[in-house]
Amino acid sequence: MNVAEAIDDGRIGGRLWLYANYHCNLRCSYCLTESAPGVARRVLAPETMLRRAREARELGFSGLGVTGGEPFLLDWMPELIAELARVLPVIVLSNGTLFTGRRLAALEPLAGLPVQIQISLDRPEPEPNDAMRGPENFAKVVAAIPRLVERGIGVRVATTLAEPSTYDPAERERLCALHRALGVGDEDHVVRPIVRRGRAHSGDLGVSAGFEELEPELTLTADGAFASPFGPTVHGGRLDTDLLVTRTTAPLSVPAGTLARLVGNGTAGRDARLGIR
Amino acid sequence: MLVSPVEPAQAPLLARPYYRAEGTSPIVSSLAHVPEALEVTMPFVSVVLGPSAIDARAKELVIVRTSVLLECRYCVQTHCAAALDSGVTIAEVRALRSTRAPLEGWEREDERALLAWVDAVANGRGEVPADVGEQLRAHYSDPEVVELTLLCAATIMLNRYCTALALPSSAPTLERLAREGLS
Repeated sequence: MNVAEAIDDGRIGGRLWLYANYHCNLRCSYCLTESAPGVARRVLAPETMLRRAREARELGFSGLGVTGGEPFLLDWMPELIAELARVLPVIVLSNGTLFTGRRLAALEPLAGLPVQIQISLDRPEPEPNDAMRGPENFAKVVAAIPRLVERGIGVRVATTLAEPSTYDPAERERLCALHRALGVGDEDHVVRPIVRRGRAHSGDLGVSAGFEELEPELTLTADGAFASPFGPTVHGGRLDTDLLVTRTTAPLSVPAGTLARLVGNGTAGRDARLGIR
Repeated sequence: MLVSPVEPAQAPLLARPYYRAEGTSPIVSSLAHVPEALEVTMPFVSVVLGPSAIDARAKELVIVRTSVLLECRYCVQTHCAAALDSGVTIAEVRALRSTRAPLEGWEREDERALLAWVDAVANGRGEVPADVGEQLRAHYSDPEVVELTLLCAATIMLNRYCTALALPSSAPTLERLAREGLS
């Protein structure tokens, strides 16, 4: 199947995801990849990401997603994001705890580029938020977001919850008031369920989601290409392979074509049941 | 086993059709680490080793004899059982398992020519002697020669793969061989 057609028809997502790394300065209780400071880094080299991004544009992809781990632990990440954004619009997922001093200054060239940094903020008060994400997470995030917004850098807020459908409306309103006050509008706030993989699986948290429940979005890691950014998870220190598409990641047409073939004539928008994006 | 088998719950998308509820061969569960290789290897193996225009007995003679010469424990054990199912006798299996070449006392002339060909292809280096090929051609058509030679070559590939990765034979196979006195 033609990759561009599959993207145009919505059978596979238009965003190519790149797992920059697996290590992180946090150790969140629901982390899909069991990321933490000491884990195997599984870094994708910047030149590799840039090459795949250029191929993605040629194949008909419309955007890029960079995730990890915490991508901004890699010193070269801001410069790479700027280069990637000249190829396709970029969303970078971050815990938002590193944006001070030298690292914050390094982000300034991203102003005005088609880049959004998606920062996790789960609860409107520090205590419950930090119970999931670690000490002082809340304070660091609410300090970082305005700094980015002031510098003209796009910011999205992602809220990850065990049960979004039963989310207390009053708490949700407090959280929305908070992100608005920080300079992030409702259109840039996403709420999504915890996916029961990685550390969430170990902790008996979240919803189970397999290939049929997830939007197919090609995702590249140092270990191969996967069918979703929720695919290359780590459980018990071992990489999950149930959503592995191919070990081959270059040329990008190999995993992209394989994913399009796997999806076949599947209905577009099949992730609607869980709303996982 | 040198590499860990990919367990069914971790089977990659392309590998899932090759997993069986009753048990999955270690060839599949090892190749599943590289699903794009599995996806082409298994259909290839199925076409070359599976049912075709050549009768199953002749194919199992080729596979067992090749595997004996390549000293592949996994393939010898697995295909001795398959050979018995295809009509090869226990005595013939024992003869095939002898490392002497050429095979002595084999009854059918066409199979003697075939086994001599296998011995020359699998046990030799460089060119295959012309007279061995001519004897084979006396009994088999061009398509059959191609298919049998491809079968021998594919078996060599599998022999080295299975031996290098130390793939384990299944318990039912080992039990069957024990019952038949072929352990």
